[in-house]
Amino acid sequence: MRPSPAGVAYHLAGLAVAALFLLPFFWAIVASLRQPGLPPARTVEWWPHPAHWDNYAELFRVVPMGRYLLNSLIVVAVAVPLTLLTAALAGFALSQLGRVWRRRLVTTSVVLLLIPGMAVWTFRFHILEALGLIDSLAALIVPALAGGSPLFVLLFYWACWRVPFELYESARLDGAEAWTVWWRIAWPLVRPTTAAVAVLAFALYWGDFSTPVLYIFRPEIYTLPIGLQLLRQMDASNLPLLMAGSMLMIAPVVVLFLVIQRLFLRDLTLERVE
Amino acid sequence: MQKLSLAALAICLLLTGCAIGGANRTPGKKVSFMVFGDPAELAAYQQLVDAFRAVHPDIQVELRHVASQGDYQKQLVTAFSAGAEPDVMLLNYRRVLQFAANGGLEPVGSYLDNSQSLHAADLYPEALEAFQWDGKTWCIPQNVSSLVVYYNRSLFDAAGVAYPSAGWTWDDFLQTARTLTRDLDGDGQIDQYGAGVSPELMRLAPFIWQNGGELVDDPAQPTRLAFDSPAALAAFQWFVDLQVQEHVVPDATAEQAEDSETRFMNGRLGVYLNSRRTVPTFRTIEGLDWDVAPLPQGVQPAGILHSDAYCLSARAQDKGSAWTLIEFANTVAGQTLMATTGRTVPSLRQVAESPAFLDSQQRPASSRVFLDTIPLLRRVPLLQKWPTIEETASREIERAFYGQASVEEAAAAAVSLTLPYFQDK
Amino acid sequence: MRLRRIAFPLSYRRQLALFLTPYLVGTLVLVVLPALATVAVSFTDYSAFTGYSTSHLPTWVGLDNFRRLTETPLVRLSLNNTLIFAGLAVPLRLAGALVLALLLGGRRPGTGLYRAAVYLPTIVPEAAYTLVWLWILNPVYGPLNLVLGALGLPQPDWMAEAATARLAIVLMALVQIGEGFVVVLAARQNVPAALYEAAEVDGANRWQSFWRITLPLIIPWLLLLLCRDLLVSVQNTFTPSFIMNYGGPYYATTFLPLLIYEISFDFADWGLASAVLVVVYAWILLLIWGVRNLVEGLRNRVEADEA
Repeated sequence: MRPSPAGVAYHLAGLAVAALFLLPFFWAIVASLRQPGLPPARTVEWWPHPAHWDNYAELFRVVPMGRYLLNSLIVVAVAVPLTLLTAALAGFALSQLGRVWRRRLVTTSVVLLLIPGMAVWTFRFHILEALGLIDSLAALIVPALAGGSPLFVLLFYWACWRVPFELYESARLDGAEAWTVWWRIAWPLVRPTTAAVAVLAFALYWGDFSTPVLYIFRPEIYTLPIGLQLLRQMDASNLPLLMAGSMLMIAPVVVLFLVIQRLFLRDLTLERVE
Repeated sequence: MQKLSLAALAICLLLTGCAIGGANRTPGKKVSFMVFGDPAELAAYQQLVDAFRAVHPDIQVELRHVASQGDYQKQLVTAFSAGAEPDVMLLNYRRVLQFAANGGLEPVGSYLDNSQSLHAADLYPEALEAFQWDGKTWCIPQNVSSLVVYYNRSLFDAAGVAYPSAGWTWDDFLQTARTLTRDLDGDGQIDQYGAGVSPELMRLAPFIWQNGGELVDDPAQPTRLAFDSPAALAAFQWFVDLQVQEHVVPDATAEQAEDSETRFMNGRLGVYLNSRRTVPTFRTIEGLDWDVAPLPQGVQPAGILHSDAYCLSARAQDKGSAWTLIEFANTVAGQTLMATTGRTVPSLRQVAESPAFLDSQQRPASSRVFLDTIPLLRRVPLLQKWPTIEETASREIERAFYGQASVEEAAAAAVSLTLPYFQDK
Repeated sequence: MRLRRIAFPLSYRRQLALFLTPYLVGTLVLVVLPALATVAVSFTDYSAFTGYSTSHLPTWVGLDNFRRLTETPLVRLSLNNTLIFAGLAVPLRLAGALVLALLLGGRRPGTGLYRAAVYLPTIVPEAAYTLVWLWILNPVYGPLNLVLGALGLPQPDWMAEAATARLAIVLMALVQIGEGFVVVLAARQNVPAALYEAAEVDGANRWQSFWRITLPLIIPWLLLLLCRDLLVSVQNTFTPSFIMNYGGPYYATTFLPLLIYEISFDFADWGLASAVLVVVYAWILLLIWGVRNLVEGLRNRVEADEA
């Protein structure tokens, strides 16, 4: 089948758009492979010669980046599954409620989304301090117990809502408990949402900068964003190193996203399936 | 059953997180010690802590480190409000009052009086007085540093210019900087600048004083900045002209592309104004032939004090052990160690006059410059909101320095914007 | 069509309540209580050192913080900056999201990848993303200026001038258009295909089918996006303005979040910071409420017209 002119034009446009959005990261990768100490090139350089891959190793020598990486991984490994669990359950429960309570709680959740992080920073740690969680990784994981963000709960709510009610009803009539209805019916059907929330939650905990700055004092439990900030303060002029650090931080999220995105960017119909 | 097991799993995960990050509850004496500085400075403090532990093995020291002073301030304020502040912290005299006046610090005067190994008379009074307020001594200064001129000897040699020496004037400075500002490869862009200085209040102040002006209207009871006096304005103008008119200092674009400190380290800057702080980092650069010289003199000589001190938190659990650390850091042993790293101009006279500081085999060879200038040092006023005043004024100075406002405008703005901050006790 | 809901037995409802508990309790403790505390504190002289010793308990000062707020030039300045930013970023982001969603709305092969590329910058950690831009916007060596130079265009010193610094932050926000893009995509895919087919039969061209079918049906979504974007524009400028130039040059990029941060940690004056927060959010809520009422009013008028 010969490609139509419209098709070719479409793909050109698509590629141009994609390139535009990916260009910043490409440039960052290029910059991360430059030799530090040399004045940067004065012309556009599409790939450095020679590519100085050692910058990535240097990252781990200048600051204890390996330790920070490990801490970030621990936080994410605990927080993301926990978030998925609590948010999925809460969203499912919301979808099952009667009209009155459902509207109240959904509206409350939407209003909660409006509350800015800044209003919460300073007093949250009095609470965390009373709980003895300050200066521990638990302080970073604790929001996962609450579903991570009202947005995640709402996403699961909308997804569970789209499932034909008959499916829930027939399971219930068979005597299933809420838990079973969720596990057997809702959970398998909301996979795209689970994928989306997994990526969003990962990005949330992985990239969280303000919470560790405020709640963590011991260098042994610093996370990656702090490591990046340290790197910047210690060696602000070493741009290749900074870019390498940035890419270290960006890469896992991107990889996860690319693997999972097929599941949720393809089908975006939000109407209830008839 | 599934529900229960999942709940159990969740709890296990959370507890794991707690355990991994949980604060150590090991018994014994513990002191938390918070410092700021770049890697070379941090290494110096680590050495200090190791030496301390060798002498006092029963006291554990937790060294906390923040890389920049700005972030340090924020972390410290957060730590105080969370009740997680360090027992011993390094504070600059410009910031001490904010913590002292609010009850965050414990005065160390009585500890000092009762100390066997450390005596007030052993320290330079110029440094100690900076930390005395309301009749009490709040912290023990570790250094009596000041603003000096770092210069690149190779560049001076190449240009055939005489090294800066005591008594050189503003005109000498300007002339030197002009000669050293060069376009090396003839492409119309300046590759080597004669001078580099950060456009901020702490750099401008000594020049104002040297011209007979004052920073504030009444140093004892300041109510406003005094930038708008003719003497101060003239100094301000001279300072700003270094960039705006003479172009011996990098402009905004050049500074952003490569900051002055990096430029000096890469051998592309003739002279660089800074305090003792950068010595450990400069020492790591091989092949850089540098030394220090005193500030140029205006109508009268003047310098500006830079001093950090060890302060004790009012809520420290074990004040005795915390004081032991402070004391150790300021005895001959502790101060010698810090001096050999190059970080400090020791506040202990004995160490300052010793080879640990003055060794001419170690750069800078002319460390004596720091000592000679001590009698000329002046301090900024001690105010609770001084850091804010300084930051606000520095933004105006920066604006004028890069040609975005006239000196009169910037001075007037600095004075009016900072007025409210003088009113707080 | 939904079945009549059969009444749930008590045990089922209990279990649902159990499912909701971590979320509700957790959010209450971690979000609602601190937020309420912040509002309360805006009426006191709470500082970072309050509660530190018995001589420093917080005292009620009524509306004093709000009065001081109006007298602090920094507040007016950062409000101004935030409005400028929102005024630029929000329309551009909406328009961009709309254009991209229309472009990439189809189901051709490869579309998934293009969409992924558009969405990618949104999930990148903010701190790392900002550092990447710090490099890109470097006036002498940064790729953006090098490309502009190669094209013969002026190469501004981005972070050194007020106008270009603000533009830079807007540019950073524009590249993170992914969220809006996904919303508009979803909205467009909810327009029944039957409508488009009918329009084609009637001979409408693409522009007409966009204007008459797509746009009216996705307006509710666009308005939702508008509200959310307004909110985001006020809140999410912290990391960029903090890392790029700490609110410089000369306060040009001192947006409200950075101001609140400075007041909290430089001045250690949480009473004032909370007051700023309360005022800002009151304004936003008013704005959103206004928009909603506007939409309702418009919709009622449209329906009345059609009736």
